Amino acid sequence: MLKINGLKAEINGKEILKGLNLEVKPGEVHAIMGPNGSGKSTLASVLAGREEYEVTGGDVDFQGEDLLDLSPEQRAGEGLFLAFQYPVEIPGVSNINFIKTAVNEVREYRGLPNLETKEFMKLLKEKQQLVELSGKLANRSVNEGFSGGEKKRNEIFQMAMLNPKLGILDETDSGLDIDALRIVANGVNELKTKDNAFVVVTHYQRLLDYIVPDFVHVLYDGRIVKTGTKELALELEEKGYDWIIDEFKETV
Amino acid sequence: MATLTISDKERFLINQEGQDFSHEAKTFIKIRELALKNLKELDFPTNKLENWKYTNLRGISKIEFRPQSAINIIAAKVKAHKIPNLDAYTLVFVNGFFSAEFSDTAEEKDGNFVVTNLNTAKKKFIKFVEPYLGFQTRAKDQFFVNLNAAFSQDGAFVYVKAQQKLDKPVHIINLVDGDLVAAYPRNLIIADKLAEAQVVVSYETIDTASALSNVVNEVFVAEGAHVQMDKIQNENGNTYHIGADYAVQHKDSTFTINTIPANGKLIRNNLSILLDGTGCTANLNGAICLNGDIHVDNQTYVDHAQPNCDSNELYKAVVNDQAASIFNGKIYVNKIAQQTNAFQSNANILMSDDAKANSKPQLEIYADDVKCSHGCTIGQFDDEALFYLRARGIKESTAKKVLLEAFIGEVLDNIKIEAVRDYASALIAKNFNSKN
Repeated sequence: MLKINGLKAEINGKEILKGLNLEVKPGEVHAIMGPNGSGKSTLASVLAGREEYEVTGGDVDFQGEDLLDLSPEQRAGEGLFLAFQYPVEIPGVSNINFIKTAVNEVREYRGLPNLETKEFMKLLKEKQQLVELSGKLANRSVNEGFSGGEKKRNEIFQMAMLNPKLGILDETDSGLDIDALRIVANGVNELKTKDNAFVVVTHYQRLLDYIVPDFVHVLYDGRIVKTGTKELALELEEKGYDWIIDEFKETV
Repeated sequence: MATLTISDKERFLINQEGQDFSHEAKTFIKIRELALKNLKELDFPTNKLENWKYTNLRGISKIEFRPQSAINIIAAKVKAHKIPNLDAYTLVFVNGFFSAEFSDTAEEKDGNFVVTNLNTAKKKFIKFVEPYLGFQTRAKDQFFVNLNAAFSQDGAFVYVKAQQKLDKPVHIINLVDGDLVAAYPRNLIIADKLAEAQVVVSYETIDTASALSNVVNEVFVAEGAHVQMDKIQNENGNTYHIGADYAVQHKDSTFTINTIPANGKLIRNNLSILLDGTGCTANLNGAICLNGDIHVDNQTYVDHAQPNCDSNELYKAVVNDQAASIFNGKIYVNKIAQQTNAFQSNANILMSDDAKANSKPQLEIYADDVKCSHGCTIGQFDDEALFYLRARGIKESTAKKVLLEAFIGEVLDNIKIEAVRDYASALIAKNFNSKN
């Protein structure tokens, strides 16, 4: 589904990703961990198409398409979804209009007709329930005045509405209390099928108790330096990253 | 041998002469004479004046504009400038002259309200017109206000009797047709005690290669009365528009004015509101979306002369291409005006490298128990918000539209008549796109 090959990217002339390789197949959940500044969020941003980052090398294949050649909206249309680390507040745009516009634009991209209002409302209710998002938030401006937990649940809600092939969660767990974390994780687990995949970027092993990954990757200095199973996350929690960094430095 | 030189102003004034106002009652002729006298002392404002720093009128003073009555106006061309789905008393003025043919004047049987042209009112309702006309515009120092007072041909007259409500809005359509036209429409709107009125004033063009609209609106809001005014400026790119809006509010009255300068060559609006009784509320809003090389300059002045009044001011501008938006908002709080609440906000988004915005909020406060605030921002498009929308699959063009509509929508929400709001929204939506 997703094949990243030797990806290099920089921002303001500073190289952050230095030749990153990753392959994600349908039905898989990949966790990406790593110390601060290792390039985790950069990877998520580059995949979603954030323009501040300049890709200087490598390629990314997403379901047979050259992902890096697509605009952010085309990537979403193709089925890529980024749950933002810091969801953006948009005054004056109601949450419900926002998601309705998004759903219909994505449908248009996929050659589908707009959803009838009735169908849309049904879908909306169902997905709001999935992440226990209050219906009251629908008429509020996007993320404006939302609590931290509400913002993150709103991200998962949007993901559920858009039903992507590949969901990238960029530190969605940061700052969440245990209840909110459980709700968010539960939302992801409900959305998981054998045809879609998730890349979960996180600082904390805690999230992986709820969203169980098939693979855990350690990102360091712009490269994936170790890959393992969920046990690796536990080991990281216990021992930190230094041993992996030392191991990596020895091999270089 | 002495050579006789004549200034631009003198030549300009000579061009405005030749209209016959001798049929008017003496009291109205006196207003014109006083204005002419003031004009002798005045001249076209220059950039040296603080309030005209960013707007240069050299262009106007050199052009041979003249008052001209329009001839052979085709009904279809007038109809094109009506606001769709607006059920209103419509008064049409072409080049400042009343067009009875396209207007529906109304006089309620019981005299509860009058909607007619000012020249008719000057004869028929002289006792209503006399105390009000020119009352607020005795401003000696305002060149264009005096110019309008001296040469105005006609305008709308709206009077609502105490405790009465106009059953429909009044829509005053001001059209310009013909080259080198100088039009001086002047409207007088009076809401008596506890009365209510909604007035829509639109300025549009039939056809002109060069025109000057020099307009004055005078509004009187008596005790407990409510007046809402929507002002839409949609003239063609060859038209200079210099406007002055004056409102006087008495005790417990509410006045709302929404200004939408959409199209023209140069637009200057001087809005002045006097809160002359306790417990007044004034709402001043501006929704400005510009493209091409239009220059728009909004000057507002709110005079809190009495205690316990509120004023709420919100001007928002989106500026594209080489367009310029100027905002200069002054709030004056008299030393007796305790418990004043005065809020002012001006936000600007620049969409291109050549777009310009100038914002100058001014507070002058002499009372010590007041709540006043002002804020102004000039910024670029919110790239984070744009990326967020695009990351959800929304095309860049749609995403920009959504964000701009949200930004300006906060202002447009103040327009209470749906048909007018739709009309203004459509004008604004059109201007979101670059003309380049």
